[in-house]
Amino acid sequence: MNVLLAVPLVVPLIGAAVTLLLRAAPRAQRITSTLTLAGVVAAAALLVARTADGDVVASQAGGWAAPLGITLVADPLAALLVLVSSVVLLIVLLYAIGQDVGGLSRAMPQVFHPIYLVLTAGVCLSFIAGDLFNLFVGFEIMLTASYTLITQAPTRARVRASMIYTVVSLTSSILFLTGIALVYALTGTVNMADIAEKLGAAPPELRAVLALLFFVVFGIKAAIVPMHFWLPDSYPVAITRISAIFAALLTKVAVYAIIRTQTLLFARDDISAVMLWVAIATMVVGILGALVQDDVNRVMSFALVSHIGFMIFGLALNTVAGLAGVVVYLVHHIVVQATLFLVNGLMRQYVGHTSLRAIRGLTTVSPALALFFFLPALSLAGLPPMSGFIAKVALFEAGLAAGGWLVYTGIAAGVLTSLLTMMAIFRIWTRAFWGTPLPDMVEAKAQLRRGANLGGLRFMTAMTGVMVGLGLVVAAAAGPLAEFSFVAARDLLDGGAYVQAVLGGGAP
Amino acid sequence: MPVNGSRPDTPADGPTGTGPPEGWEAPRERWLSTVVRPAFGPRSVLLEVVARLLIPAILTFSVFLLVSGHDRPGGGFAGGLVASMAYVLRYVAGGRHELAAGLPLRPNTLLAVGMLLACGTAGAPLLVGAPVLDAVQYKFTLPVFGEVKLLSALIFETGVFLIVVGLVLSVVAALGARMEAEEQEAREERAGRRPRGGATAGGGGA
Repeated sequence: MNVLLAVPLVVPLIGAAVTLLLRAAPRAQRITSTLTLAGVVAAAALLVARTADGDVVASQAGGWAAPLGITLVADPLAALLVLVSSVVLLIVLLYAIGQDVGGLSRAMPQVFHPIYLVLTAGVCLSFIAGDLFNLFVGFEIMLTASYTLITQAPTRARVRASMIYTVVSLTSSILFLTGIALVYALTGTVNMADIAEKLGAAPPELRAVLALLFFVVFGIKAAIVPMHFWLPDSYPVAITRISAIFAALLTKVAVYAIIRTQTLLFARDDISAVMLWVAIATMVVGILGALVQDDVNRVMSFALVSHIGFMIFGLALNTVAGLAGVVVYLVHHIVVQATLFLVNGLMRQYVGHTSLRAIRGLTTVSPALALFFFLPALSLAGLPPMSGFIAKVALFEAGLAAGGWLVYTGIAAGVLTSLLTMMAIFRIWTRAFWGTPLPDMVEAKAQLRRGANLGGLRFMTAMTGVMVGLGLVVAAAAGPLAEFSFVAARDLLDGGAYVQAVLGGGAP
Repeated sequence: MPVNGSRPDTPADGPTGTGPPEGWEAPRERWLSTVVRPAFGPRSVLLEVVARLLIPAILTFSVFLLVSGHDRPGGGFAGGLVASMAYVLRYVAGGRHELAAGLPLRPNTLLAVGMLLACGTAGAPLLVGAPVLDAVQYKFTLPVFGEVKLLSALIFETGVFLIVVGLVLSVVAALGARMEAEEQEAREERAGRRPRGGATAGGGGA
C-alpha cells in the first residue's frame, strides 16, 4: 500500500521525461500527459480510500528509517488534496489540449507538457512530504515550473508579471530556508513528526517566533493580506490554463503548508490571535479590491485573495469543527477557482479580452458560457445549495461554537465578504452578460465560427462544463465530504496518528 | 501597457519556433576543429591547445567522480558539473558551432534521458512493492580490479549526471550561444550586409 504514496511524485516526473523526448510528436505527447495524470488520479483515489478511516500512510524512501531518511506521508487531508488537485490538473490539461488542437493558443505545447507534469510532481510532493526540507523541495519544484509556465506565450505584460512573481516567490523561499535552518538549530531534525515531539520542550516565545516566521513564509505564497499585492498583478496576466492552475492550486498548497505547520509543529494557540486578525484583513481587503477592478480576471484574483481569509479564519479557531470547515473550503475553493478562470479563458476566446469596459451581452453570444459562469460564481459567493454555502456555513458554525469577540468579528467579516463577493459577481454579470452584444463582439464570434477551430473550442467548452459539474458534485457529495473532513480534522488536531505512522511503525 | 490590459491568447498564426536552433544538425566533431571562431574576443592559440589537451581528461575525471561517488566525495551531481565544464571550455574556445558539434545529443534530449534514468531507477522498486529509491547491490570479482561493488543507485546517479550536463548545456545554449547568434545577426543587420533573415535566431532551444 505504501507503494501508492510515491506514485503521484515519480510517475509525473517520468511522464515529464517522456514528453520531453516526444517534443516532435505532439499527439504522443498529449496522450502521455493525459495517461500520466489519469494514473495520478487513480493512485490518489486509492490513497483517499486507504485513509478514509483516519489512518496515516507513511513510506520511507530507500528504506532509511524515519528521522534521517526522506519520508512520504499521507494523512486524510493530504490524500484528499492530492486527489482533488490531480483531478483539476487533468481537466485543465484536457482543456489545454483542446485549445492546442484547435490552434487557439500561442503557448508552446512541447514546453508546456513536460513542465506541467513537473508542476504536478511538485504539487503532490508538497502535499505528501514528511519533512520540512522536502516540503521546501516540493515548493521549489512547483515554483520553478511555475516561473516557466507564467511566461508561456510571452508578451511584455507577462514578462513583467513574471518578474514580480519570481522575485516575491524567491524572497519567500529564502525565508523558508532560514526557517528550516532555525528549526534544525533548535531541534536537530527536519522530520516534521520528530520536530513535533521535540519542539514541545522549546521555550514558548521561541516557538511563537518560529510559528510566525513560517506563517509569513507560507502567507506570502498564499497571498494573505498584507502580503497579497503580487497575486493580482501576476496571475491574471498568464494564459488561461496557467492562471487557472495557479489560482486553483498554488495558493492552496501554501494554505495546506500553513495548516500542516501550524497544527503539527507549533502549539496551536501560539499565534492564533494574529491569524484571526490577518484572516479578517484578508477577507475584507481582498474583496474591496475585487469591487473596483475592470478586468474579469483581476476581479477573480482579488476574490481569490479574499477567500484565502476564510481558510485562515477556520484554522485560527483551532477546533475540530473549524479545521473540518477549512478542509471542505479547500476542496470547494480549488474547484471553483479553476472553473472561473477556465470560463474567463473561454470569454477571452469569444471576445478577445476580458475587460468589463468592452463586453456586453455575453448571454446572447454564448448561453453556455453564461451558465458556466453563473453556477461557480454563485458558489463562490456562498449561495445555497452550492458548495461555497456548505463550506461557509461549516466555518461560521465552528466560529459560533468557539466564541469570543474576535471570532464574532471574523464571522461578521466573513458574512460581509460573502455579500460583497455577490456584489462583485453581479457587477460582472450586469456589465458583461446583460444587454445587447457590442458590434465587434458579434464580429469576433463570427470570425471564430468561420475559422476551422470549432472542434477544439467545443472540447474546451465541454471541459469547462466538466469542471462546473465537478463543482456540483462537491456540493452533492457534501455529506461524505463533511464526514471525511471531520476525520481529517481530528487527525490534524491530534497529530498522534501522524507521529505514530512516521516514527512508530518504522517498517518501510 | 497597463497590467490589466490582458492580451488575448487566441490568434492561431501557425506553430511558433518548433525548429531547432541553428547548428544542432551539424555533423559531430570529436575534436575541437582547427578553424574556430571563439565565443569571446580574438582566437587564442594557448586556449585552443589547452582545451584540446584538457577536455578528454576532464571528461574522464567526471566519470571517475560519478563511479567513486557512492561512498567517497563525488557522485552524479559533481560529475555532471565537471563534465559540463568540458563542454563549456569547448564553447569558450571554439564558439557556438563547436558547442553544437561536440555534443552527442541535444541538451533537451540529455535532460530527458537523464530524468528517465533517474526517475525510472527511483520508481522501479515500487513495482516489487519496495519503497521508492530502494537500492540493490551486486558484488563480483573482476580479473584486474578485484572485488567490485555495483549498486543500482549508480544508474540513478548516472541519470543525475545527465540531467546536470543537459541543464548546464541548455543554459549555455540559451544564454550564450543563442544570444551570440542574435548579436551577430544584429551586427550584420546594422552593417547592412543583409536584410533581417527572419526566424534564424528563434526556436525552442531551452
